[in-house]
Amino acid sequence: MDSIWFKPELADEIIKSNDIFEETHSIVADMISGHIDITHLVENMAGVLTNIEAENREKGMRFFTKLLKELPMDYLSEAQIKFIAKFYTDRLKDNHRIIPSVLEGYLVIIEMKHYNMNNTGEFLTMLFREVPCQSQVRQDRFNIYLIIQKLMEKDLDYMKVLGPDFVYGIISAMDGERDPRNLMFLFTFLPYFLKHVPLGHLVEEMFDVISCYYPIDFYPSPDDPAAVTRQDLASALAPCLCAVPEFAEHCLILLVEKLDSSLRLAKIDSLKLLAESCKTFKAESYGPFLKTLWSSINREISHKTDDELKMAAHEALSALVANLATTTNTDQAFENFTKGILISMQTAVAEATTVAHFVQATKVLLTVANASKESCIIITKSMIPATVAYYGFKTSSKLQIASLDFLGDLYGLAKHWQILEELHIQISEIPQLCLTAVSQQSKDYQIAGFKNLIIVKNVLPSDLVLPFVEILIYNIQHSQDNDLLGVSVETIHAIARKYPELIMNIVVKGKCDLNNLTQDKTALQKRLNLLSNLASIDDFTKVIIEEMLKIINANDVEASKVVEALNECISNNSLYSDKKVNQIESDHGLVDSILVWILKEIEGPLESLIHGFTLISNTICSLPSEKQLIILTKHAPDIIERCKEREVYYLVLECLYTPINQDIYNSKFEDIIRLSLNLSLHSDNELVRTRSCVLIAHFLNKAEYGQKFELLYELLKSYLTTCSRDDMELCPRLIILYGWVTKSLIMRGSDLFLFWLQKIMVTMSSPVYCKESSKAIQLIMTDHTEYLNQKYHCRTSLLYKQRMFQSFSTLTEKLGTLNESTKEHYLLSWAYVLEKVPKSVLNNEATRIVPIVIDSLEYDNKDLLIVMIDVLCHIVLGKHYLVADSLQTILPRLVNLSKYVKSMDVRIKSLQCLYDIANSYRTMLLLPHKQDILLDLAPSLDDKKRLVRNMAVRARTRWFLIGAPGEMKED
Amino acid sequence: MTKIADNVNPHVYEKGSERKTTSAELDEELTDEFDEREIFDLIRNINDPEHPLTLEELRVIEEKNIVVNNKENTVVVNFTPTIPHCSMATLIGLSIRVQLLRALPSRFKVTVVVSEGTHVSEHAVNKQLADKERVAAALENNNLVQIINQCVANV
Repeated sequence: MDSIWFKPELADEIIKSNDIFEETHSIVADMISGHIDITHLVENMAGVLTNIEAENREKGMRFFTKLLKELPMDYLSEAQIKFIAKFYTDRLKDNHRIIPSVLEGYLVIIEMKHYNMNNTGEFLTMLFREVPCQSQVRQDRFNIYLIIQKLMEKDLDYMKVLGPDFVYGIISAMDGERDPRNLMFLFTFLPYFLKHVPLGHLVEEMFDVISCYYPIDFYPSPDDPAAVTRQDLASALAPCLCAVPEFAEHCLILLVEKLDSSLRLAKIDSLKLLAESCKTFKAESYGPFLKTLWSSINREISHKTDDELKMAAHEALSALVANLATTTNTDQAFENFTKGILISMQTAVAEATTVAHFVQATKVLLTVANASKESCIIITKSMIPATVAYYGFKTSSKLQIASLDFLGDLYGLAKHWQILEELHIQISEIPQLCLTAVSQQSKDYQIAGFKNLIIVKNVLPSDLVLPFVEILIYNIQHSQDNDLLGVSVETIHAIARKYPELIMNIVVKGKCDLNNLTQDKTALQKRLNLLSNLASIDDFTKVIIEEMLKIINANDVEASKVVEALNECISNNSLYSDKKVNQIESDHGLVDSILVWILKEIEGPLESLIHGFTLISNTICSLPSEKQLIILTKHAPDIIERCKEREVYYLVLECLYTPINQDIYNSKFEDIIRLSLNLSLHSDNELVRTRSCVLIAHFLNKAEYGQKFELLYELLKSYLTTCSRDDMELCPRLIILYGWVTKSLIMRGSDLFLFWLQKIMVTMSSPVYCKESSKAIQLIMTDHTEYLNQKYHCRTSLLYKQRMFQSFSTLTEKLGTLNESTKEHYLLSWAYVLEKVPKSVLNNEATRIVPIVIDSLEYDNKDLLIVMIDVLCHIVLGKHYLVADSLQTILPRLVNLSKYVKSMDVRIKSLQCLYDIANSYRTMLLLPHKQDILLDLAPSLDDKKRLVRNMAVRARTRWFLIGAPGEMKED
Repeated sequence: MTKIADNVNPHVYEKGSERKTTSAELDEELTDEFDEREIFDLIRNINDPEHPLTLEELRVIEEKNIVVNNKENTVVVNFTPTIPHCSMATLIGLSIRVQLLRALPSRFKVTVVVSEGTHVSEHAVNKQLADKERVAAALENNNLVQIINQCVANV
C-alpha cells in the first residue's frame, strides 16, 4: 500500500496527528530514491499549508521545515529552491505563530548548495518590514541574527549591494536586544559586519545602538549553569565600539565621559576600550582628546591600591603612544603629548619621597618608552641624564638604589629599540655612576650597582675595569654574604666577556695568581669558584683548566677544593653547555685526571670523594655516546676487579655508569647488575646499598624494551628468587630495593611497576616492616636531584606521579584492617604520596582524600601532620563541601594541634588552616564554632615562638570578623 | 554622605621592611620574648579610617613609640595623629586598642595614648581610651564596630 504522503490526504493527516512528524525520514528516503517528487509532495500538503486556521498552517510549516532540514543539502535544484524561498518569504506576512517555523526553514534553505543569493534581497526586505525582531522570543531573534550572519558568510559582495536599507534593517532588528547570549552572538558578529559593509549615513545610528550597552552592567543569575559573565560581554563589546575608523569621534567622546565616571568597572572598561581602539582609529582622531585622556590616565595610574585599574591604565597609555607614534614625522601632536607626560612625570619623580612614589612615576615613563621607538628616544634622552643627576642630589639610600634600577631599565629599552648609537653620550655616564654606587660599603648599593653594570656592560669603558675589579675581588675574597658573592662572580664573568685580555691580566694572572694558586690559603675556595666560573669563557678555558688539573694531578692537599669548585660550576648548565664540557674533556682529559685522583685518594674522607664522583658523572652525562663508551671500556674492567675486593670502589663504578646515554649497552652490564644486586642486599655500608639500588634503577629505566630489558629484568627476578624470605635482616633491604625498582619502572611508563608496588603494599600490613614500606613509597615519590633525572638521560614519563597516586589509591582499598601501629605508617605513606602529587589531582580526588586527612590529624607524627595539614589547607582553599560537613571534627583537632609541643611547624600550619577555613567557608557554617575557636586560640597568642604567635594572631583576628559587621566576604 | 577628610593630603612615608626571621626564631627550644617590633607588626597595617593608607605609612605609629615590659606584663603604645586637630584620633586609638585586645595574650595590660603634645584635645582622647567601660560600650555600637573591623581587616 502506498504511504499516506503519496496522497492528498497527507494534509489532513498533518492536521490530525502528530505521529506523521515521526515519518519525515521515510518521506525523505522516498524522495531521494525518486519515488516521489517535491512538487508532488507540496501539492499533497496544499490543504494544510493554505488552511484557514492559523494553527493548522503553523503545523504545515513546521512539517515542511522539518522535511527541509532532513533533506540532503544538495538534493534540491536551484529552481526548486527559488520556488520554496519565494514561498517562505511570502509566509513572513502570515500570522505571528508561523514566523518561528519560517525563520527556521529559511535558515535551512540558505545552507543548501544550490541556493541563489538573488532570493535574499526580497526575503530581507520582507523580514525587516513584516517581522519586528524584538517582539519575537529569544530563539527566533537568534535565528534572525544567524540568517544574516550566514548570508554574509555566503556572499559578502551581494550583501554590500543591498545598501543602507539592509544596514537600517539590522540596526532596527538589534535595537534593544537584552538577552546576554544573543548579545554575545551579536558582539562577535558585528565587528565583521562593520568592517565589511559600508554604513553610509547611518554611522551615528549604528554607534548609538551599540554604545547603549556601554559600559556593561550585568550580573548573571546564580542558577545559570553556563552563565555569560560580565567580563565576556565587556570584552566582546569593546571591538564593536571601535570596529571602524568612522566611529572614532563618537567613541572617544563616550570614552572620555566614562573615564570620569565614579564606577570602577566603567573606568576599567574605558581604559581597555582605549587600548583596543588604538588598533583601528587613526592617530589624528585622538588629537582633540589627548589632554583629557592623559589627565584621566594619569589619575588612574596614580591610584594607590587598585592594581587592576593601574594595569589597564598602563596598557591604554602604551597603546595610545604606539598609535600616535606613527605620525611623528607629520604631526606635532605626538611630540607634545610625550613631552607633556615627560614633564609631569619628571615633577613627580623629583617630588617623590618614597620608593613607591618613585617607582610609580618611573613606571609611567617606562611604559611610554616601551611603546615605540620615537617615544623611547624622547624619554631616554632626557631621563638618563636626569636620573644620573637625581642620584647625586637625593640622599635616601632606597631612592638612590631605585634610581639605579630605573637606569638599568631605561638602558634595556634603548637596547630593545636599537637606539644606543644615538644615545651614547647619555649612556656613557651610567658605568661611572655604577662605580660610585659600588664604592659604598652597603651591600644593597653594591648589589644594585653590579646588577646595573651587568646590564650596561657593553658601554663599560676600559679605564673603569680596574677599579671595578678591585672592589669585586675584594668582595669575592672577603664577603660573607652569599647574594653579594654570587653577583660579584657574575659581574666579573660579564666584564670578562667584554674585556678578556684585561681580566686575564688583572684577575687570572694578577689577583688570583693562577700560577701560585695554592700559596695563599685564605679565601682559596672563593677564588677557585671564581676561576672555575671564568673557565667557561672560551678565552680562559685552556689556561685555567690546565692549571687546575695540574693541582689535581699533583695530588696537592688542596686538590679536593679544586674538585669541589669545578664540580659546582660544571653542574651549572647555563654556564657550561654540553658542547663546552665535551670540548674540555677532549682537550684536557678531565675524567681521566679525576679518576686517577680518586683512586689515589680512595682511603681519604668520603665528602671530598663524593665531589669527585659527581664531577665525573656530570662530565660524562654531557658527552656523546662514543666518548662515553671509550671511557667505560678504558676504566670499567679494572674497577670491577677492584670492586670484588673493596666495596668502596663500587662507588666509582656507579658514578661511571649512572650518567650514560640510553643507547649504551655492553656485555659488562650483566656482571654489574649481579654485583649491584648482591651489594644492595648484603653490603653493610648504607651508602653502597643505596648507590647500588640507584644503579639498578638506572639500568632498568634506560634499557631499551626488548631483548636488553628482558635480560636485565630476568636477571633481577631470578636473583630475587634465590633470596631467602626468612632472613630478618634482608627483608627491609628488599623492600627498599622494590621501591627503587618500582620507581625506575613507573618513571619509564612501564606497567610492570604494579607487580613490585603490590609487593610493597603487602608488607604494609605487617607490624614489623610497615616502616620500610612507607619509606619505599617515600622514595618512589621523591624527586632526587642527583639521580634518576633527565640530566642523566633517564626516561621520565609525564604524569608518573599521578599514575602512582591512582595505583596506590586502588591498592590501598584492598588492604585489610590495620592496627594502630601499622595504620600510622599507612597514613604516612599516604602523606608521602599526597605531598608530591600535583595539587590539581587533589581537587578531583577530594572525596577520597578528606577522610584520610581527617584521620591523620589524630596521630602524633610530625612529618605526617605537616603534610596532611598542608593538603587540608589546599582542599579548604578549594572550598570543598566535605570539609564543611566535617567542621565539627576538624576544628577541635586543629585547635588541639595548635598546641602541639614537638613542632612549631605543625602549630603554625594548623593555625594557618584555621585561618583559611575562616576565609573560605560561609558565615552560616562557621558562626556556631566562632566563640569556641576564639577561646581556644587565646593560649596560642602566648606561644613561646614568635612565628606561631604571628599566625595565631592572623587566625584569631580573622575569626573575630566572622559574622561581625564590617566583614568583607562575598557570600 | 560625603564628608571631606580632615587631612586631605597627608604626608606619606616609606614602608619599613618585613621582619626577617632569625635562626633563633626557628629554634624549637628557645623562647622568643615579646618585643617592641612584634607589637609594632601587630598594628602597623591597620588602615587609616580616611585614606587607603596604613598607620605606618602615615607615621601615626612608630616602633620607637612602643614600650613593652615582659616582666610586668605591660604594653604602652603612643600614637601620633597626622594633624593636631584630627577628629579621627579617638577612632584610631580605639582601633589600635581593639586590635591589641584581640591579638595579645590577656596577661598584658595595654595602654594606648596620644603622643604628648601632638593633639589639641590630647587629655580627652587619652581619658576616653583608658576608660574600659567606654571602650566596651563603643564596641557594642554596630556602626563603630563596622568601621573598626574594616580598619583592622587587612592586618
